[in-house]
Amino acid sequence: MSTTPPRPHPVPEGLPAAVRQALAVAEPRHGAHAGLTSDLTIDETLILHSIAWAPRDLVVGLSVQSVPSVIWSWGSGEIELASRAHARAFAHAVARLHAEAVAVGAHGVVGVHVERRILSSHIEVELVGTAVAPIDARPLPDAQVFVSDLPARDFALLFVAGWRPVALAVGASFTYAPRRAVGAALRQQTQNVELTNYTEALYSARATAMERMQRAALDAHGAGIVDVTVTEGPLHFAAHAIGFTAWGTVVTPTPNARSIDPITTVSLDDTVSAFDVASLA
Amino acid sequence: MSDAPKDLPEASERRLEEIEHGLFTSDLSVNEFLLVKEAGYHPLGLVMGSSIYHTGIQTRKWGESQELTKLTEAMYNARELAMTRMEEEASELGADGVVGVRLDVNYYEWGKDAAEFIAVGTAVKAEDGVSRRNALGKPFTSDLSGQDFWTLLRTGYLPQGLVMGTCVYHIAHRGLGQTLATTGQNVELPNFTQALYEARELAMTRMQDEASRLGAAGVVGARLEEKTHQWGSHTIEFLALGTAVTRTADEITLTPPVTIISLDH
Repeated sequence: MSTTPPRPHPVPEGLPAAVRQALAVAEPRHGAHAGLTSDLTIDETLILHSIAWAPRDLVVGLSVQSVPSVIWSWGSGEIELASRAHARAFAHAVARLHAEAVAVGAHGVVGVHVERRILSSHIEVELVGTAVAPIDARPLPDAQVFVSDLPARDFALLFVAGWRPVALAVGASFTYAPRRAVGAALRQQTQNVELTNYTEALYSARATAMERMQRAALDAHGAGIVDVTVTEGPLHFAAHAIGFTAWGTVVTPTPNARSIDPITTVSLDDTVSAFDVASLA
Repeated sequence: MSDAPKDLPEASERRLEEIEHGLFTSDLSVNEFLLVKEAGYHPLGLVMGSSIYHTGIQTRKWGESQELTKLTEAMYNARELAMTRMEEEASELGADGVVGVRLDVNYYEWGKDAAEFIAVGTAVKAEDGVSRRNALGKPFTSDLSGQDFWTLLRTGYLPQGLVMGTCVYHIAHRGLGQTLATTGQNVELPNFTQALYEARELAMTRMQDEASRLGAAGVVGARLEEKTHQWGSHTIEFLALGTAVTRTADEITLTPPVTIISLDH
């Protein structure tokens, strides 16, 4: 940030004194980032404060990659164009999110919401999260700024237990599910039988996607991946293409890793049991 | 395993190799992850088994309550395939058990009677190096969450296996005469009651049989699910699921819980 504070929006004259005062607080000051946006709840902000961290800003990363829509219908093996486009969309979105976090001097991004849209013509990835940093901390070297989809609460718990998030690891694979021959389909009509062609296609998509996610975690020098989100199944616009995606936060222990010693509690609150008339229908 | 897809994909080997080199993956939340560590276990990897299965056709008699053995068999077989494959993956990782197992059935557009049966869980290994495998020498499986797993171990019990019993049952339609006779009256419908009773009992008994085969002391977290899948309103699958547990020599280390009243509403 420059030494002379930019004043793009001077406080207009003629406003009530209270409004002018409020606007003045939101104005950028020397070297400080003023005005704070975050999608954390009050609880989450307080939990962050309890470990002496604070939110810096809401950060966004977005990428749309086009794919030729003909690739989904016929073929065998992996649909590599789609897998590559998905990987690129994620990588670009994360890079943009990361760059925004670095720009506000954050040490990391928590609570990243992952929105994905996989359509026949393009793959879209949108990431929104809150950049956070220890209170009054200096910026870190870019490479050490982490991105994580763990909520602020989980981040604080990890921090207390002496672990830290490192990166978001993603793996995806799209595969053609071979069609059954008409004869086989007819023969199997009345039988209990495993459909090995689909099973194998799903297995191969899964193994490839998981391997890619793990490779990303190893590249980030993590000890493991927690809270892995898995989505799988055929794509709604192409019944014979199977998609498998997995992502999670790479974590690693710090030298202060320790046990958390939980205590058990019993809540004395009455549980609300509502009587639902509709259940009688 | 004889009936598994013959050539498991190359990436599958690589994936398991990476896990053996110390990287773990898990769909446990941070809370569960830390509690599993606290309980003296280390997560090894996300393990899965799946099978896409075509269920056959069985004719039902309109007015007769009966078990549809062919469909029961299909539901059993397909789940067993998925569970066994998950266990195989866990064995390959040298795991003592699998926690947080989810069993799902998904229907796709591939065909009316084809469904995907999938079992997903996190393979764990005891940090003290003592094997905690079950009576059959296989990794234990359990659908308990990380929180439940921690609490269970503190009370001196160890999961043995995810046990299930299933029964696909066709419930007779009521005849016109019966329907007319009960119109406007408060009356129990004994044929429905009896059919549902019998189907549930069959499912629960089968679950208990599985538990006794494991030499378990009991089944915790048992629940009964009822689904019609795609068979119409009078054909129902009753699925009983729970975690079989045994008593270990470990002492009970669970301290009496603190009572709390939360002030938020």
